[in-house]
Amino acid sequence: MRATAALFLTLYLLQAMVAQVNSAIAPIHVWLFVGGLFVAYPALVMPFGQGFAASVLGGLLCDALAPVAFGTHAALFACAHAVVYNARERLQRDETVVTVSAALLVNLALFLALSTIRIQQAHGSAGAWPRMLSDLIWSEAVVALIAPWFFALQRRTLEMARAVDWRTT
Amino acid sequence: MAFAVWLVLPVAVKSVARVSFFEMTAPIRVAASYVGDLQRFWALRLHSKDELIEAGRDMARINAQYSVSMQQNGELQAEVERLQALLKMPPIEGFRFEHARVVERDFSSWWQRMIIRKGSDYGIPLGAPVVYSGGVVGRVSEVHAYTSVVQLTSDPGLRIACVVDGDPRPISYQGAENQVFGAAKGVIEFVPLDIYASATMPKRLATSGLGGVYPPGLTIGRITHVEPSADGLFKTGEVELDPRLSELTEVTVLVPEGEK
Repeated sequence: MRATAALFLTLYLLQAMVAQVNSAIAPIHVWLFVGGLFVAYPALVMPFGQGFAASVLGGLLCDALAPVAFGTHAALFACAHAVVYNARERLQRDETVVTVSAALLVNLALFLALSTIRIQQAHGSAGAWPRMLSDLIWSEAVVALIAPWFFALQRRTLEMARAVDWRTT
Repeated sequence: MAFAVWLVLPVAVKSVARVSFFEMTAPIRVAASYVGDLQRFWALRLHSKDELIEAGRDMARINAQYSVSMQQNGELQAEVERLQALLKMPPIEGFRFEHARVVERDFSSWWQRMIIRKGSDYGIPLGAPVVYSGGVVGRVSEVHAYTSVVQLTSDPGLRIACVVDGDPRPISYQGAENQVFGAAKGVIEFVPLDIYASATMPKRLATSGLGGVYPPGLTIGRITHVEPSADGLFKTGEVELDPRLSELTEVTVLVPEGEK
């Protein structure tokens, strides 16, 4: 419970920061999506229950701020969490490059899934893809840039909250 | 299991959860907005007295122009009321202007929204039109305790009944794609065949007043291109929206006078 709360706190902070950045760069029509960061660390490091709860709560936070059916992000994050959790034993989880790569892949998959859901509502679907591609490239670049810092923040928060026994994770 | 539980949850529970999560993030957003205002205030304090005097002089001129416009407006209003009484027409519903600061912009390729710093605490109703000096901003799509969400005219999900300047026939406007580093765009449909516009000779697109949400005559954008549609009965076209739409810091919500 404490671990989930600590992780949710970091996701809340990430959401607030990304929202401020998106607001600042809105005039140039660039939008950042960092859904992969909501899922990667909880799925790669935490026990299933705690990590899953944190990812779903993070998804609900995104849902509340987006004009999508409530639960869309949460469902996608839950699916992504389950996939990454099942694959994590085959990954070198203590390598930063591996965790960042996992975050990038999850971010890509979530972005494409959300685009597929939302594209039906756009007027000219074909015309919307260049902008989506541009947003995706910028988002991936930002995720690659901030992922190491964010994972360190999550780890440090868990340590401060004394929420995880690192010998067992 | 979790999906099954979620699917059978009543809508009321989901609505409460959504509102709770939104309100949970609102304090940070509003605090950041106030910090931004404070930063702007201190930046303005760095201006010299000469600049202040110059700005005051310009403001006095604008005020004088507005005073004259208000007198003319008063006369026209009286004339409208006299004609309404003469023709026994129902009175045109007015609006209360509620000015609000923009807290946050959220311009993705999927949606175009902004959050403003007034909500149900100022009686902002759902669906109210939002305007600025350049025309229509959009409409209020969500109202929360002390913030509201505005769906912009550039949002692909927003449709408005509008008219081409000088032509009374209604056409349909919808937000469209918003390319990187470019102005936001919209599309128009059901344009009569005798309407022509191009990038060199654009036409102003304004609200029609149909539907009762937006008052008539508010600028939406400029029609820069029209071409015959596939069925040949109408034309479709492209509308360029004002670039200022992406940089707004303050907007005005038109609250119908019947509302609280």
